[in-house]
Amino acid sequence: MKRLPSGGRIDRSTPLNIRFDGRTLPAFRGDTLSSAMLAGGVSLVGRSFKYHRPRGIYSAGVEEPGAMVHLRDGPRHEPNVRATVTEAFDGLVATSQNAWPSLSFDIGAVNNWLGPFFSAGFYYKTFIGPFRRSTRFWMMCETFIRKAAGMGRASYMEDPDQYEKRNAFCDVLVIGGGVAGLSAALAAGRAGAQVLLVEQDFELGGAVLSDPVGSAGDDWVARARAELQALDTVRILTRTTAFGAYDGDTYGLVERVSDHVKVPVAHQLRQRYWLVRAKRAVMATGAIERPLVFGGNDTPGVMLAESVRSYLNRFAVLAGQTIVVATNNNSAYAAAADLAGAGADVTLADMRTTPPVEARTLAETAGVRLLPGHGVIEARGGKRVTGARLVPVDGTGRAQGATQTVKADVIAVSGGWTPVVHLWSQRYGKPVFHGEGACFIPDGQDSHPLQGAGTAMAAASLSEVIAQGFDRGAEAAQAAGAPGDAGKAPDGFACRPFWQNGLHPAWAVLTAQGKTLGKAFVDFQHDVKISDIDQAHLEGYVSVEHLKRYTTLGMATDQGKLSNVNALSRMAELRGKAIPDVGTTTFRPPFTPISIGSLVGHGHGRHFRPTRLSPIHQWHVEHGARMTEAGAWMRPWYYPQYAEDLCTAYIREAAHVRAHVGMVDVSTLGKIAVQGPDAAEFLNRIYVNGWKTLAVGRLRYGVMLREDGFVLDDGATARLGVQDYFMSTTTANAAKVLAFAEHLLQTAWKDLRVHVTTVTDQWAAIAVAGPKARALLAKVSGADLGPGALPNNHLTHAMIGGVQVRIHRMSYSGELAYEIYVPAGYGRHVWQALHDAGGAFDLRPYGTEAMATLRIEKGHVAGPELDGRTTLKDLGLEGFASSKKPFVGSVLQQRPVLEDPQRPTLVGLEIEGDTGAKPGALLYAAKADAKGHGDGWVSSTTYSPALGRYIAMGLLKNGRTRKGDVVRVEDFVGGQSLTARVVSHHFFDPEGERKNG
Amino acid sequence: MAEALSPLHHTITPGRYGVAGDVGITLGTRQIAGLWQIAGWQGFDRAAAPVLAAMGLHDGGSYRRAEQAGAVTAWRIAPDKILIEGAPDLSAHSSDDLVTLDLGHARTAITLGGAAARDLLMQLCAVDCSAAAFAAGAFIQTGIHHVGVLIHCTGPDSFDILVPGTWAETIWEALHHNALPHGYEVSADNNSRISGTNPT
Repeated sequence: MKRLPSGGRIDRSTPLNIRFDGRTLPAFRGDTLSSAMLAGGVSLVGRSFKYHRPRGIYSAGVEEPGAMVHLRDGPRHEPNVRATVTEAFDGLVATSQNAWPSLSFDIGAVNNWLGPFFSAGFYYKTFIGPFRRSTRFWMMCETFIRKAAGMGRASYMEDPDQYEKRNAFCDVLVIGGGVAGLSAALAAGRAGAQVLLVEQDFELGGAVLSDPVGSAGDDWVARARAELQALDTVRILTRTTAFGAYDGDTYGLVERVSDHVKVPVAHQLRQRYWLVRAKRAVMATGAIERPLVFGGNDTPGVMLAESVRSYLNRFAVLAGQTIVVATNNNSAYAAAADLAGAGADVTLADMRTTPPVEARTLAETAGVRLLPGHGVIEARGGKRVTGARLVPVDGTGRAQGATQTVKADVIAVSGGWTPVVHLWSQRYGKPVFHGEGACFIPDGQDSHPLQGAGTAMAAASLSEVIAQGFDRGAEAAQAAGAPGDAGKAPDGFACRPFWQNGLHPAWAVLTAQGKTLGKAFVDFQHDVKISDIDQAHLEGYVSVEHLKRYTTLGMATDQGKLSNVNALSRMAELRGKAIPDVGTTTFRPPFTPISIGSLVGHGHGRHFRPTRLSPIHQWHVEHGARMTEAGAWMRPWYYPQYAEDLCTAYIREAAHVRAHVGMVDVSTLGKIAVQGPDAAEFLNRIYVNGWKTLAVGRLRYGVMLREDGFVLDDGATARLGVQDYFMSTTTANAAKVLAFAEHLLQTAWKDLRVHVTTVTDQWAAIAVAGPKARALLAKVSGADLGPGALPNNHLTHAMIGGVQVRIHRMSYSGELAYEIYVPAGYGRHVWQALHDAGGAFDLRPYGTEAMATLRIEKGHVAGPELDGRTTLKDLGLEGFASSKKPFVGSVLQQRPVLEDPQRPTLVGLEIEGDTGAKPGALLYAAKADAKGHGDGWVSSTTYSPALGRYIAMGLLKNGRTRKGDVVRVEDFVGGQSLTARVVSHHFFDPEGERKNG
Repeated sequence: MAEALSPLHHTITPGRYGVAGDVGITLGTRQIAGLWQIAGWQGFDRAAAPVLAAMGLHDGGSYRRAEQAGAVTAWRIAPDKILIEGAPDLSAHSSDDLVTLDLGHARTAITLGGAAARDLLMQLCAVDCSAAAFAAGAFIQTGIHHVGVLIHCTGPDSFDILVPGTWAETIWEALHHNALPHGYEVSADNNSRISGTNPT
């Protein structure tokens, strides 16, 4: 392995400092990590998934199965990075993975000798089968298996980089920047279509980049690029992989914005995830060279032939000095010739007995030693290829004579090529078999918005590649409505031979008895051998779907890019069928692994979901409130004094409200304007109680059911005008209730002239509760709020702090209480005005925890009771339901199962002892065994400062007849066992004297 | 005199943010002056016509194109609903055929401009915001960070984003994070006040 003194597409004026396993590698801008490794003489890069076999660099592209490394360190550490597509950058640090204690001496390599135990299906046979009655042994074994198998290790540190999502729309998406893709983009761009051209490499050109610098293809690519760059309708994205094709002609791309630098520029992205909606798309994704199967074909130094050529011509790295090229088709002749031209000693073993004259001439002219009718049956060497055993073969790849061993440091293989059809397959299913190319390609249906072109369609010549690309581009532009003419397709240029002409469909070189000499791999990344396929066949797993899952073939991160056809051909041979009769599997996204960060974008941490803030939020923060999440809202949980903890604070706050006056921010309550001449009828239908008699200036508590008869939500609705109502809902169900109401109005109740509009954002809301609430509000507003002027369930308009507000008298706490509705922009001002004036009344703010305590003491239901499983009767609310009118849920609430008298009903629980119950704890009769689901559950729980004990609300079977009973309260999760006495859930002021006073 | 505060009054800090170099984006807020919704049913256009005419409006625009008359802007946000900014108190127009609703405190207006403004919008909402698809005078109702918003294109590269007030800060933060790679500026003349129902 050596770097040649000249040539290549690297920038020799920009040397880079990169390291692998502590070793400095010679690199230049334009290198990849793998080309730098080869230039630096690195042959052993990693260890294999299962057997921990030595693995080196096998390819020069995304299909790489072995050269996977840990890239970077610290919080930017990334596992399983393919060295072949990692651009070299200054400061690059990579280390080997899946090896211990070192890459060279790996304890896990003992697995290689235990191969018979690790054959296909060993999981099921070895660990699960013999221990059917218990999974304990299996789980223990799995721990060790997972440690022994696998790949790199991810970091637990927070990724410091930024990722972004972006949407894009275009007429034509061209995927692939090779000759076919450039032709397609030229045609579509000239026609005036909005074109997005994406290329996963950092340079355009595709296969041309593997040709010697100065080849005819370079000029062709340069001209095409210049023309595309001059078209303002064409956008070119390099370093961008189209990884998924989805319904609605949507494509997922990932752009590696800063992967080619050590650290992104400040505020710049690491990667960008594009979601592209394209009217039409051209898939010019090329093809991947196919391996050959023989003993030791995973030994470092066995490489794909075109990759060896690419390292030579693109990176000026000669991968070996004595090279054996093994092939069954014409394309490898170019590699052999180029390598010989660079000074390597090249032997070409062609499984075909009579290679085409053109190919022979190419080889012989370059000084390549040609062995027709020969194959490589075994790679010799351990951590590095030292030789190749060659053997004459028949048409099926069986050995036909004596082997000869030749010295070699590289075995370059080519079993033909596999078109990259992943995106097409993701959209349209299984591709069809192409006989001449012995590969699977898209079915070519004209109706598909995504069309293949070039070698992705197994085009057999360069002129065909250009023509296909250009035609598909022009057709796509026309279908997308582009106005112009694509003009004439570009001329062709001289290039290497294609594989389809004369390919011989044999991929495995076996002994005359059909065996391999040593382990012969089909799926390199998952260590699936050809013998595993034989075993799967022997055990009846002959379907490709079963074969895949039983052997894990094609299920690694490379998604079977190298293994697919070789595996199918083996199964076809075993079954005595043709490859297309055996079938193939469907590809799934992503085409190549993508980072989770790119999918997440900014949607993590605080922005995992949007956060909703009350208009008074900042006051709470500034005054030391501990905030808590309530759905999307942030709400003040409690306001600690000094070092108070939650319990101390909420008990103090709740007790203070009962004794004095407190205020709480209830802006989060859902608020819906119900407007129109039929608003009362609408309310009459959606609530269980009647609304037609509600006068302007009054408000009423209401309960609504779902159509299936379960309780949906509750809240108070005020009548502000003749046809204006103001509905409030619980915080949790605001959106659900609005959507439900809108749905009914748009479908079942189109006859009603009603509009519902959320006004949650329009109004801040403050609840003022406590014996001094009236006096406080009377002082700050100057309004007459006496019992006669403003009885319970009435509203009035007033001024507080110079702001016009609405005061609703109503209570969920059982106290004398009011809700003050303030235009949101004045919310903080009015809150502050109350706070300022409240000193004389000992006004204190209180949080959601104390608010919950007050409502539990009062026995008022809330979210924990409105859990979608409870009926009106369950909650003791059946008295609200009108018998004079139908309402949503009125029929289905009468289902026998909901009328069952044994259903759990709402009860109060006085907890015995000085420990509170946990919500969700199960209730059992005092003398019953604590087994099964019990008689009910605890829904809400608190310490009651008013009662001086822990209390709870719960749903208990036959609850109405069990008052006075003692029940067990079992929390199996927390291991807590309590007893409680069943009481009425109206713990505090059951007659309502305080709130009505 | 009470001051009505924008939900962003403590969030917005004038300055230069993000990558160095040219400023790709300008962000700010502006005052919303009188935001009302009028809605009706069958015959809505007939019922709305005199209300719109009184403000100099013709028909309230279409579902994608706003109508403007002086300081008044109308967005037809549904077949039978029009949102109007710059409107006086419309409550007197309520009838059996038309309902009016004051939403002056329900929305916050975020202003967005700059050469990269359309790119920023494409980062945040799945709508084609290119100049060809979203020209001046057009508006869209879409989602930013899962929150429903109305985006009005007010010029070649300038937009108003009307966001629900309680979600304003989270959307501002989403704009901030996504604008950093473009380099952005928050001008000092932002108006953190809002104008809705006026206190007397």
